[in-house]
Order: sequence, then structure tokens, then C-alpha cells
Amino acid sequence: MKYDQSRIRNFCIIAHIDHGKSTLADRILEKTGVMQLRDMTDQVLDSMELERERGITIKSKAVRMPYKAKDGAEYELNLIDTPGHVDFTYEVSRALAACEGAVLVVDASQGIEAQTLANVYMALDHDLEIRPVINKIDLPSAQPEVVRQEIEDEIGIDCEGCPLVSAKQGVGIEDVLEDIVKNIPAPSDDIDAPLQALIFDSYYDNYRGAISSVRVKAGSVKVGDRIRMMAGKCEFDVTEVGAYLPLGYSPRESLNAGEVGYIAASIKDIADIRVGDTITLASSPAAEPLPGYKPVLPMVYCGIYPADGADYESLRDALEKLRLNDAALSYEPETSVALGYGFRCGFLGLLHMEIIQQRLEREFDLDLVTTAPSVVYKVIKTDGETVMIDNPTNLPPVQEIDWMEEPMVDAQVITPQDYVGAIMELCQDKRGTFRDMKYIEGGRVLLKYDLPLNEVIYDFFDQLKSRTRGYASFDYELKGYERSDLVKLDMLLNGEQCDALSIIVHRDRAYPRGRSIAEKLKEAIPRQLFEIPIQAAIGGKVIARETVKALRKDVLAKCYGGDISRKKKLLEKQKEGKKRMRQVGSVSVPSEAFMAVLKMD
Amino acid sequence: MKPLSLYIHVPFCARKCAYCDFASYPGRETDWRRYFDEIATEIRLWSGETDFGLLSERYRVISMFIGGGTPTLVDAGYIGRVIDACRAIVPFEADAEITIEGNPGTLTPEKLAAFRRAGVNRLSLGAQSFDDGLLRSLGRIHTAAQIGQAVTMARDAGFDSINLDLMYALPGQGMNQWKDTLDAAIALGVEHISAYSLIVEPGTPMAARVASGTAIVPEDDAVNAMQREAIDRLLAAGYRRYEISNYARPGFECRHNLVYWNRGDYLGLGCAAHSLMGGRRFHNPDSLDEYLSGGRRLDEAVLTPQDEMEETLMLSTRTVRGLDLTAWARAFGTSFARGRERVLDRLENGGLIETGDGFLRLTMRGMEVQDAVVLELMGEM
Repeated sequence: MKYDQSRIRNFCIIAHIDHGKSTLADRILEKTGVMQLRDMTDQVLDSMELERERGITIKSKAVRMPYKAKDGAEYELNLIDTPGHVDFTYEVSRALAACEGAVLVVDASQGIEAQTLANVYMALDHDLEIRPVINKIDLPSAQPEVVRQEIEDEIGIDCEGCPLVSAKQGVGIEDVLEDIVKNIPAPSDDIDAPLQALIFDSYYDNYRGAISSVRVKAGSVKVGDRIRMMAGKCEFDVTEVGAYLPLGYSPRESLNAGEVGYIAASIKDIADIRVGDTITLASSPAAEPLPGYKPVLPMVYCGIYPADGADYESLRDALEKLRLNDAALSYEPETSVALGYGFRCGFLGLLHMEIIQQRLEREFDLDLVTTAPSVVYKVIKTDGETVMIDNPTNLPPVQEIDWMEEPMVDAQVITPQDYVGAIMELCQDKRGTFRDMKYIEGGRVLLKYDLPLNEVIYDFFDQLKSRTRGYASFDYELKGYERSDLVKLDMLLNGEQCDALSIIVHRDRAYPRGRSIAEKLKEAIPRQLFEIPIQAAIGGKVIARETVKALRKDVLAKCYGGDISRKKKLLEKQKEGKKRMRQVGSVSVPSEAFMAVLKMD
Repeated sequence: MKPLSLYIHVPFCARKCAYCDFASYPGRETDWRRYFDEIATEIRLWSGETDFGLLSERYRVISMFIGGGTPTLVDAGYIGRVIDACRAIVPFEADAEITIEGNPGTLTPEKLAAFRRAGVNRLSLGAQSFDDGLLRSLGRIHTAAQIGQAVTMARDAGFDSINLDLMYALPGQGMNQWKDTLDAAIALGVEHISAYSLIVEPGTPMAARVASGTAIVPEDDAVNAMQREAIDRLLAAGYRRYEISNYARPGFECRHNLVYWNRGDYLGLGCAAHSLMGGRRFHNPDSLDEYLSGGRRLDEAVLTPQDEMEETLMLSTRTVRGLDLTAWARAFGTSFARGRERVLDRLENGGLIETGDGFLRLTMRGMEVQDAVVLELMGEM
């Protein structure tokens, strides 16, 4: 197809979870013929096993589809998929910046939900044309007219003639495509200006190296061009450009202003491609990068160790591979007295951390021991030096610390009115400071709090979920550092400190946390030959104590008629079990104990 | 000339006990003849040159143990013929210990006399308890009174070495019942007493009862208290504890069992019988039918030095004599203490082991947790 900007439509689909975004995307791929029915697995865009299982989109992707519209013209539709979770907000915002319009999917029986609004606001921030689509009209409880009215009243978008569809049954899909062609504006980018290509995603391909997914905002790029990363300050020679098909690549001669596609340039390290950065040509660079680049900083850290020390190399290889597709993951080798050799890993948030752990376990078949997540604390030492601490073990001695600061977040909770009390109580429990409360549409309330990040990563999500029966939605953004009365809480097993169990907590929280961890450890550590005192201590002062009683009886009464195989098997099993435990001084600690500390009540 | 012990398994019984998961088959009387014919065939296989040389030239039998099942259930003639067949291929020491295991409910003066004539000189009775209620709940076919009668009959038949097996840690067994059982056993004046705590084996009726809550096994502390009670009473009555579960008057320790713990050579014949010969372990099939169709010498493996070390450690520490450190150094070329200094210190200070005069032995407390102590001592082994 010849390059013609007026025939290009770049759009994304936004929706509340479960309103049918992925199913609609599948139907659109099918309708435009880029995917044959027989190639379809459910939710093609969510290709990672984990994504499908959890029903969330982790990495953003883009697909180009040809579409012959009713007006007789051929169009090029670019569907850009966006991650749907707060951990990946920055990636969402970059993906939106690559589009001119957004298809807003609303469930015909549920109507507008919290995330519907959050997504709409974000799309409006990027000046996108929002095109509502009412989905699931096949449901008996569907009320498309009511929902249409709701969208008009509460969001203020004209719903006249908006498509009514059942993505599940494939009804109304063509209406959606026609609506996109008619109402989402074509890009109007300057092809004669110096190249400005916005990177909205990056990943690693074994044959092509690290690849940038881009929206060309000005100029054009072709094979053989020397490109420059404007924030990354490095240069590469382009080896391939093209568009995405649902299951592969479609190389092209060039990518031009207004188009979406990929650029490969034999880039070995994914870290050289930063989402949000602008690509330009080295020979005739653009004067300014596109607005809005910010480096992605890990917010949450934890130690990840192989359950079996022999798997250290495999763990390193696995992290390296994951990092190729996920520039937001960081890791560095670290050593723990209790856990041996492992890695300190940094994540965007808790979900990101959980996903990486699960991918390591499933895709690489590794058994892991994970330490409690920690945030990055700022320590101002008495000699004036400032150090950032992401591992409690590295905290300088108390006498060298002048004061400490902890990261704070701007937190937003949108909740049905009934739960406001419960949420305020929770935020107060979590050392939150109330900022604002607003009544929004449909009896809902928007609450704003300043919260310490270390409370958010503790059990905030679980608590929020259980206290609001899952009705509240939560979003946060890093706000900055605040001075705080923090202490290091150590756990001692049989008098020996276990480094992997140390955490940094607010002084007021130290006592209940210490007691709770000691209780958890008591349950997780099996009885051994001697009694094991478990102590929680701050700076050598014991604040809580539990005891694992000594093993009372552990002996096989009899070896039957010279058959020692039972006893051998038993010992073999016990030996295996012991191998899987960590030695803290003379105490054997099962891997689960380190996890137990994460789980609260 | 190397000492050899023989084990003959008789996999028949009148009724399966609730806790039993050994190879034992009730109601297969019609297979008895075939089975003993099969054993005779197996014994003949060992008559010529074997992997371990010609047994008659290399070995002398110091002990033989006819276990089960209930060997005293079958006709004494079978037993006599097995012993004779064995004598035909490998000479017995004049004072060889020949034990038969039996159920007090299956004995008659005639049978006992026949065993004696066949050369049997030691009788091991599965008494288990002197409480008729407990005996019933275990599924035993005998009563407490029959134990006394069996001992009297055995004495009359000339048995001067008798063992009683007793069980504790039984569901529903109180300390007083256990004391009564110990006292009753002592009162019978037997030379040897084995006191085993019940092991609830998966798949047995007992395991099902425990799982469903109809049977409740005593707590660990109560079990330890019962064992200590056994030690107290038996020692006071002149017995000596020589292994975790075994007590004997001086000179009446079971030589056959000591061979297992000291890892001497033993050859097991019959179904489910295990052997340790010349550093190899092997065993016959557990299933009677497989044995009858000729299944022999399964899982044969040459023990590695590592296996030998582990076995030596886990078996010798069951005995009161303990682990012979000099023999260890000789056998494995390295001192046992090397690399274990800290563990040994900790266990010794903690009152779990004692070392001295070239032996390492578990204390009374150490024996209560023998598996865990062995695991500690194995370390990275």
C-alpha cells in the first residue's frame, strides 16, 4: 500500500478490567483478516502465558491491519495495546502518546467503573479522540441505552450512533472499524522534518537484537540510516524497519511520519532502548526530543536467591533473559549470610515483582527464596554524606546516621461511598496523611492520601481488597522523600542474626511487626535437636521472643529382619529436606520461613 | 572363615494384625508346601560356586533367624527341612543361635519339641501386650494368659533363651497399662525383651483409624515417658539395654540382630528377605506370588563408601556399644571427627552423645531422637 497519512489510523483500546478489551481486539484482528480464525487462540495480543492467566496485559504491543472501508478506500489501522496496571502507568502513557484516538469499551451491564474513568482521563490528557463502544450486548442483563446515557452524562462524550457490540459473538465489529475510520483523526505529522520517533515499547528478539516499537512523529527512517537515541545518547545503524503482524514482522523499506512500527539496529543491550526516548537521525538530528521522557526507576527491591545454591548460574541466566524484554527490571549480585549467593532485584511495583518471580519459577523452572520487599531509603549520615539503601542489611550503624527519609506516594482511591470509612481507617493505619476527598458520579468517592511507600508494599492491596470487597481501585505515584523515624528490625535465631530477615520499619510499627514475624517464624521452623529462641530486636534490644521447642522424638523403632531400606529412605528424605533448608548458625530454616515473613495474618 | 547369618522368611499368618505392613499372607495354607519347596530350590542355588565364593568354604553360620509372618503357624516339619537344607550347604558353628519367631496362640508342646529337635534354640514371642483389650484392638489372635502358657510350654520343651516383643505408644494405652505389661513380662523371667513403639505404617487399618480419629496415638512426650519407664523397670529387674528397643540379661543379647547393626554378612532366603553379602545389598520380592514364580535378588547394588559410611553411622548408633571410631578410621581412612568438630561439640554439650574409649554413643536422650542426631552427624556426607 502506498504511503498516505490520511489513510492511517493509530488507536488503542481502553477499558475497565473484564469489560472485554482483549476479546474486542481479537475480533478486530479477525475481521480485518490479519488473523485467520484457525490461528486464533483467545486473546492473541496477550501472548505470555502469565498474561492470559491473570487477564492482564503486561507489555504493550502494536499490530498493523489493512482495512477496506465502506467508502471504498484502503486504510491502515494500527492497534496499540496498553498495559493495564498501575505498576506500568508510565508505559501506558507512552503507548497513548503514540495514538490519535482511543476506543473506550464499556460493559453494557456494568456501565462505567473506576478504571473506565481513570483511563478516560489519561486519554484526555493525551488529547485523544475517545470513541465509546458498548460491549456485551448479548448478556441478558445488558442495558445499552442506560449505559449510553451514563457515558454521555458522566463523561460528557457524545454517544450518538456509538457501536453496540458483542465481541464474544462477533456482533457489531464492522461498526467499530467504520467508526474508527470515520471519527479518529488521521495523523498529521511532517514527513519533511528531521526524524522524531517515539519509543513506546522495547523488547528483545533473538535474531534482530533489541527492538524499539515506535511511532514516527516526524520525518522517516530506513534501513542503513544511522540513528541516535536522544536521551540515551548512543547511536546505531538501522538493520530493519517494518510493521507488526499479530504473529510476526512485516519488513518495509521505510517508516514514515504518522506510522507505527519497529526499528531494529543490532542493539545488544535492551537498556540502550528507553521507553519514552526519541529516536532521531545522526546525520540530521531533530532540535528537540519529543516531550515527556522520564527514566523508569525501580521502586521496590527484594533479594531473590535460588532455593538450591547450585542453581545460581541458572538464576543469573534467567534474569538476564527476562531483562532483555524488560528494561524496568534491574538486578545486581548480592550475598547473604543466610541465603548465600543471589541477586538484589528492583521492580516498578509489587505486581511487577510478583510477575518476575512467577516467570522465573515457571518459564525457567527455578525454585526461589525471596526476601521481604524493601523500598529505597535515603540515609543522611552524620558526616553529611547521603546514601540510598535498598537492602536493610546495608544500613549504616545507628551512630553514623543523622536522619533517614522514606519515599512517599500520592495515592488515589476511587471507591463506592459505603467503604469510605473503612478506607480512611486503613490509610490511617498505614501512616497516611489525608489530602482530599471528592464525590464523583454514581455515588463514588475519590480519596487522596499521602502514604509511605513501605506501607503500600506491605499488605496494603490485600487489606484494601478485603475491606472494600474488591470494589475500590487504587493508583499511586511517587511523590518524593520525607524524613521519618525509621529503625532496622533484626531477627535473631538462637542468638544469631539472620540478615535475610532484617527489615526497615517505622519505629511505631516495630513492635507489632517484630512480634508477628517471630510468631510466623515459630510456625515455619520445624523442631530441631535443641530449643531455638527466636528474637526480634532493634539495635540489640530484644522486643519480642518466641521459642521453637526441641524435637521430642524422632527415631525408627525397628529395622525389620535386616531390611534397612525403610530407614535409608527415611533418612534420604530427611537429608533432602535438610538440603533445602538454610543454615543460620546452627539452625536449619526452611525456605518457606523467609516467605512467611512477607505474609501477614 | 567369615561369620554368616541366615534369615528365613515365613510369610504366613493366621490373621493380619491392624498395624502390620510386612510381607505376610493369611489364609494361603495351600501354598505352604510350594513355598517351602521354592525355598529349598533357592537354598540349592547357593550350594555351588557363588558371587561370594563357595559358601561352605568361606563361611560359618553363627546365627539363623526364622521370622515372619508367623513361622510357628506352619508344620514344624517344614522348619526342620529348611534348617537341614541350610546345614547342607554351609556349616553351622556348634553354638549357632537359631531363633524362631512365633505367636503365643499357635504353640503346642509337640510343635515346640519338634523345633527343638530341628536345632532351634531361641524363641521370640510376639507378646505385644498383657492387656486383652489392647491385644484385641491390635488384631492379635492370642490373649495375655496364652503368653504365660507359651513361656511355660517353651521352658518345658527346653528353651532357655526366650524373647518377648512388647509394644508401647498404642492408641488407648495408658502408662499404667504399660507398667503392668512390663511387670508381667519381667515376672515370666524371660531372658530378652524387645520394647517397640508402634509405627503407624501407611495403608494399614491402624493408619486408617488414626486418620479417621477413631484411634489416637499418644503424644511424643508420653511416648518418651513410656520408653523411660521401660528402661527403669527392666534395668531394675536385671536386664541391660543394648540397643534402642532391645533389653537382655547379660549373655542373652540377640546375636542375629547384632549382625544387622554391625553390618556383618547375612543372607536372606524366602520372599521379602533382605541380604547384605560382601558389600552388596539385594532382596527377594515382597510379593509371595512373585517369589513363587522365581523372583530373586532384586535391586542388587554394590555399596559405595558413602553408603557404607551412612549405614555404619545409622546402624551402629542404635546400639549402646556405639560407633567404633577406630574401626571407622581403619575402614574409611579418615577420622570420624574430622570436619565434624563443631557438630560433635554441640551434640555432646547438649547431652545427646558421649564419646570416649574410642566409641561414639548416643545418650538415653540422644536415642529418643536418633534419626535427627544421625542426620546432624551425616552433615555434608
